[in-house]
Amino acid sequence: MGNEAELLRDPEFQKLLAQRSRWRWGLSGSLIGIYFAYCLAGIYLTEAFGLPFLGSSITWGIVLGYLIIALAIVLSIFYIRIVGRLLEVPFGDRESGQ
Amino acid sequence: MIGSGPNVPAILIFVAFVVASLGITWWAAKRTHSTGEFYTAGGKITGMQNGFALAGDFMSAASFLGVTGLIFIGGADALYFVIGVVVSWAFILFAFADRMRNLGRYTFADVVAYRLQPDRLRTLAAAGTLTVAIPYLIAQMVGAGSLIETLFGLPYFVAVLIVGGLMTVYVAFGGMLATTWVQVVKAVLLLVGATALFLIAMSQFGFNFDAMFARAVEVHPRGEVIVRPGGLYSDPISTLSIALAFVCGTAGLPHVLMRFFTVPDAKQARRSIGYAVVIIGYFQMLIVVVGFASIALLVGQAEYVDEFGRIAGGANMVSVYLARAVGGEIFYGLISAVAFATILAVVAGILLSASAAVAHDLYAKVIRRGEISDREEMTISRIVTVVLGVGTIGLSLWFRNINVGILATIALAVAASVNFPAIFLALFWKNLTTRGAVAGGLTGLVVVVGLIILSPIVWVNAFGNETAIFPYSYPTLFSVSAAFIVTIVVSLADHSDRASIDRAGYDKQLVKSEIG
Repeated sequence: MGNEAELLRDPEFQKLLAQRSRWRWGLSGSLIGIYFAYCLAGIYLTEAFGLPFLGSSITWGIVLGYLIIALAIVLSIFYIRIVGRLLEVPFGDRESGQ
Repeated sequence: MIGSGPNVPAILIFVAFVVASLGITWWAAKRTHSTGEFYTAGGKITGMQNGFALAGDFMSAASFLGVTGLIFIGGADALYFVIGVVVSWAFILFAFADRMRNLGRYTFADVVAYRLQPDRLRTLAAAGTLTVAIPYLIAQMVGAGSLIETLFGLPYFVAVLIVGGLMTVYVAFGGMLATTWVQVVKAVLLLVGATALFLIAMSQFGFNFDAMFARAVEVHPRGEVIVRPGGLYSDPISTLSIALAFVCGTAGLPHVLMRFFTVPDAKQARRSIGYAVVIIGYFQMLIVVVGFASIALLVGQAEYVDEFGRIAGGANMVSVYLARAVGGEIFYGLISAVAFATILAVVAGILLSASAAVAHDLYAKVIRRGEISDREEMTISRIVTVVLGVGTIGLSLWFRNINVGILATIALAVAASVNFPAIFLALFWKNLTTRGAVAGGLTGLVVVVGLIILSPIVWVNAFGNETAIFPYSYPTLFSVSAAFIVTIVVSLADHSDRASIDRAGYDKQLVKSEIG
């Protein structure tokens, strides 16, 4: 028990926790927020979602949907890199075992 | 007429898959000697392999066959599902991947029971696992049985016996190692198959997406509606409930959560989910185009679609019919075999998670209090696998005419309303207590099952009542909220001795969950 309490008081560890939690909730919140906004827009902005995209038969609703999928992929890759970098110092060595 | 006789290419390709998967099982069985190897392949799967297996777990028949069918009927509203799937996986990566891997060993119950009273939490988690796994298994098997009946000309009960028998053999002998590799092979087959279907279908339009969509709008009986919102849902409660079911439900599926423990460390866990997000995202993008292309190419062909826009053999047949329309008998056989392999691999993963819940969480940990040798637990888990496998075969034969959609709704909604709140609050909320978690979990279970029974799919369609008491098709907005509120209120009001142990354990859990 003593070990954990000590580690939790360590400012470096607290900084790591704070940074990780910022990325965790920042990215989850934005992505889920955008998805829910998309769903609500589908209900309340039906007309706008049905507008043709650049004069084609494809609508803005479909294009925006694809963009959200692409965003989820980009954010995931970004998150893996960010967390990898955060964990490099000073606690990363414990995790990767190197 | 389609499906009047056996399709030779489909049978050959399928037999090849079965032989390969049994080879994998034989190979894996020789390497599976301990419970750790049985439940989680000894934690030796790499991030990339696990990513493919995770993607395979999720790219079930529901996404390959169901989404295209949904687009065929309702058009662009299917995007709520498609996007929800990818968003949920990214969310799992951001919030869950590290902590789950660092805290768990075999099942997600390890994580919720880390600082809470283990017996009660393991029992709750096992109940949550079985209420997800059994309806899900029956849904897949009934779907598979009907699909195989149409495609291969085999009787329904033979088809269910084949799927159920193979699934039981993979899991009982090969454990997680076999299940993972069967899943990887299937994921690759499915990606290749879907890509080929996409390319061949789009080549009919010279890869002009505008022309393809224009044609789809022109021929579909509902016209413009298929590229606009509102084809399936028009009220905010149903839409948000579906969105919530995906975001929370995926993160509460026991066979998905179990895969966190097959990799060596948190870094590989993150990488697995990263691969899964990319693969699933790519697949979902393809499948939407395939769905619209199937409208453009199948409507008006009397062989597949009648004058009212109904598909012969049900909406789930859209993808395989498209394969036949654009690629002929051999390609049709290939895609059918891939669809079958898909179901087979998915049911194996679900069966393994159900067996682990019964053999590990309930029997070894709760009933025997951990006083059990590794060898004995292995034997028990294999017996449980066979019992559950045989039981599911029986239920699938019995419930042959059940609406598969109801079962799939129950599975995802229970995962969102029972498993998700418990895991989420156990990981992130210090004040969670045993009493709160159990009360919230039971509330989620009762509300979700109750609302589904009162909703249109059961109350009106199955019971034949005039109007549904609960008017929305999805219960998750209410059931997830109820589970969270009850868990939080009961935890805050809990001043028992156990509650102080539960709260005091958070710091140790926090440190371990962050650095392993």
